[in-house]
Amino acid sequence: VNGLYRALLALAPPRLRRDHAADMEALFTERLAAARTNGRAAAAGVWLRAAADLLHARAQSWRAERVPLTVYIDERTTIMVGSDLRYAWRALLRQRSASVLVVFMLALGIAANVAVFTLVNGLFLRPFPFPHPDRLAYINTAAPKWNLDVVGINYPDFDRWTKDQKLFDALMTYQGGAFTLSDGAGAVRVRGEYITREFTKVLGVEPILGRTFTAEEDRPKGPPVTILSAALWRDRFGGDRNIVGRAVRIDGAARTVVGVMPPEAAFPGDVQLWVPMAGDPAQAGESYGGDAIGRMKPGVTIEQADADLKRVHQPIWDASDKDHVVTPFVKPLHETFVADYRSAAKTITGAVALLLLVACANVAAMMLARALARRREMGIRLALGSSRMRLLRQLLIENLLLAAAGSAIGLVAGRAAVGALITLIPDQFPRWAVFAIDVRVVAFAVLSVLMTVVLFGWAPALHAVGGDLRSAVGSTTNGTTGAPRGRRTLWFLVAGEFALSAVLLVCSLLLVKAFDRVRHTDPGFRSDHILLTTIPLSEETRPKADQWLGFWNDLEPRARQLPGVDAAGVITCAPLDGCHLGNFFIAENALPRPDGKNPVVLTRMATAGYFQAMGLRLREGRFLADGDIASRALTRDDITNGRVPLVIVVNESFVRTFWGEHANGVGRRVKFNWTPWMTVVGVVADVKHYGLERPMRPGVYLPNNFNPQSTMTLALHTKVEPSSVTASLRELVHQIDPEIPLVRPRTMETLIEQSTALRAAFSWMLAVFASLAFVLAIGGAYGVATYLVTQRTREIGIRVALGARTADVFRSVVSSGVAVVAGGVALGLAGSVLVARQLGTALFGVSTHDASVLVPVTVVLVGTALLANGLPARRAARIDPMKSLRTDG
Amino acid sequence: MAAETLKPHFFYILLALAEGDRHGLAIARDAQALSGGSVRLWPATLYGSLDELRARKWIEELPEHPEDESERKRYYRLTRTGRAALNDEADRLARLARLARARTRLGDVR
Repeated sequence: VNGLYRALLALAPPRLRRDHAADMEALFTERLAAARTNGRAAAAGVWLRAAADLLHARAQSWRAERVPLTVYIDERTTIMVGSDLRYAWRALLRQRSASVLVVFMLALGIAANVAVFTLVNGLFLRPFPFPHPDRLAYINTAAPKWNLDVVGINYPDFDRWTKDQKLFDALMTYQGGAFTLSDGAGAVRVRGEYITREFTKVLGVEPILGRTFTAEEDRPKGPPVTILSAALWRDRFGGDRNIVGRAVRIDGAARTVVGVMPPEAAFPGDVQLWVPMAGDPAQAGESYGGDAIGRMKPGVTIEQADADLKRVHQPIWDASDKDHVVTPFVKPLHETFVADYRSAAKTITGAVALLLLVACANVAAMMLARALARRREMGIRLALGSSRMRLLRQLLIENLLLAAAGSAIGLVAGRAAVGALITLIPDQFPRWAVFAIDVRVVAFAVLSVLMTVVLFGWAPALHAVGGDLRSAVGSTTNGTTGAPRGRRTLWFLVAGEFALSAVLLVCSLLLVKAFDRVRHTDPGFRSDHILLTTIPLSEETRPKADQWLGFWNDLEPRARQLPGVDAAGVITCAPLDGCHLGNFFIAENALPRPDGKNPVVLTRMATAGYFQAMGLRLREGRFLADGDIASRALTRDDITNGRVPLVIVVNESFVRTFWGEHANGVGRRVKFNWTPWMTVVGVVADVKHYGLERPMRPGVYLPNNFNPQSTMTLALHTKVEPSSVTASLRELVHQIDPEIPLVRPRTMETLIEQSTALRAAFSWMLAVFASLAFVLAIGGAYGVATYLVTQRTREIGIRVALGARTADVFRSVVSSGVAVVAGGVALGLAGSVLVARQLGTALFGVSTHDASVLVPVTVVLVGTALLANGLPARRAARIDPMKSLRTDG
Repeated sequence: MAAETLKPHFFYILLALAEGDRHGLAIARDAQALSGGSVRLWPATLYGSLDELRARKWIEELPEHPEDESERKRYYRLTRTGRAALNDEADRLARLARLARARTRLGDVR
């Protein structure tokens, strides 16, 4: 019973406990027994009262003992920690520059870690801002036989899945779109989404105003409605709370606002308004497009969900797709949206871990050097009766002080670095990713610091104090160099630093080289003085294809007349713009495909002017000409009856893929499976359509009237700064129709820059890390060399006194250091070839043992190591023997 | 006289010891009985007070224990100074009691 009270007695002043423990316990037992007869509450009261009594006594004793007659164990501990702190502070101040260096290096490693961990955390670890984000699954279809990873969602299929599935709470499909929102003041183009009505249920979001779509609204010919984003509601409608029920004009037609959504509902990002998908389940053979998301029931795994979806897809396969061309699949949602950044983030994280290792090795080396240099001090203190524990504790406190300062500075610096890194690549990160320094980041940093301190700070301390007393005191008094074990550890650390720095330097230089190569890739078109703008026509006001064709045929020559414009052309799908329209072609006399797969061909409709404006290079034949493009849109009849001669321009990849490496293209014939043969009239050089570092597919250009589009991209080649033409172009379009907006007027240079921004940031960051590691390694080598020379002052003095020449001394000091560094660098170079292999495609074809990278790295590392060792060596060689022999340490 | 006011638990400890030598537990029991149950000395307070009274030389610890009790218990005895202090406090309380009575009687009249 009274074990507890005995434990409570720890609260009492020690003297009271020592003198009266048994009596106090007896009294308490009596009180407790008496109270028990009055019930549990009374007994509990006794416990409380007794605890209060003990605490009160403790407080009293503190107050009373301002002048302690006896030193108690507890108080002594307190006093000694205080004195340790003071002592540590003085010790650190004594070696001020060394202490600052250690703090600086720790801070550096921590800042880099915090920054990168925050980015990685924001992208990969932090869940989506939806309830139970782990239950969200991405759904789409793939067509392995067509060589397509993602086909899109076909609405009738989606409808069947929704009705028959058993393992999801709800499914949604969405497709991004751009909408023209017009009112009396003018028109704006906003990004939006076609969406099915259960999206709020899937994402777990609630409208902040009004409601979501009803089943009635989400069907063909349902009432025209829309939901606004909070941002659009605020910016465009002044946050009017009576917006629900009001009509707004979208794409020239009135739609009633039924609700307003919170910001997090904008998934996958930048959605300003939603309109119902209004899909028709009866419309078989509709197009494939968009994506789907499902909320899995609790406890359902991705594999189970995937199997469920394939089960409900079976009737569709049986009915219309016996070859299983299109297969639905389920993936974790998060995985789908972060795939792009994963490899980059992995590399950066690895690089930062290496940098932290270098920083730690450096700190360890400095700590060890300090500890070795203080062996004598420690030895004397031991001899005077100080306990080993006490010395270890004091060293630990010193290291903790350094670590605390280092981590505080590192956290602040890391925070600043996160901000800098994010602004560096503003458009490249998905909008839902939130980059905030959270508790985990701080915990991670603090943990790494503590590990560093305990592992690297204490090990040297044990080393220094662990030896026997006599050698500790003696080693430094009799003038020998002493502590060979410590010296070996020091050199081992320095070699490690150089090895890691070599790995970082090689990898980052390889990536910088790869970046340079990407940037200087020939895009296949003129990249300067090009302005692109997408122009969408409202299919409400212009329902017919002929009207669209008429608009483009009218716009192009007028745009060419604008001041400062050299050439103008229109295309469905401009390069580096993230757009793709793929088709299958049949080529006459095509070579058999080695893999048996029919490749997807990038299909574009363009005007004759486009080829001039973009400066595409002709390889064979001719470009499309004005004569190829009739003034009216071709109907399906025109095409299938062969009433008009059909011509086409293909790219080099097309010729190579279908007819072989050195084949001619002009005069050969190709067709869609539903058309007659079309004659190839020209072959153009490949254009880097998907990005400078992505491979190009076979591609074709068809005349603009083949299948006119309501939304096209206008390309202008300008004599002046391209963005300066935007205003006059906008005026021109406004003259034709004031309701037509210009979408994202952008220069080709911007597009190229954006397409390489991630790689630029990535290479740049790695280069910075590598430079930091390099600086740390040099600092470490210099510090260790200096320390060792200082330790050998007396020995060198004796040598000089005995007639050693300056050069001999210099050589003996330098050679050992350089040998160690050379070993480290060699190890690092071997390692870097292995590590660089992991970079894979990020190297963009740069060889992992590229001599133009490896040679300079070796030369620079060994050269600077020579310098770092040479400076202290030179000092050593100039030692005045008389002076050095008089020093006693 | 200017005697300092005695802490109540000091007073009861001294009072208990005025009747004879006692160990701590007995002092606590006596104090509770003498105060009609209102003064309960809790262990740390009791032994802390005993230590302090001993430091003031108002009580002393008996060098030998009475034979009938277990050896562990420490016995305390009131010293001459202790008895004087108790007397002073008793006088002070008596004066205070008289004053209180006088005042309440005046109050009755009013």
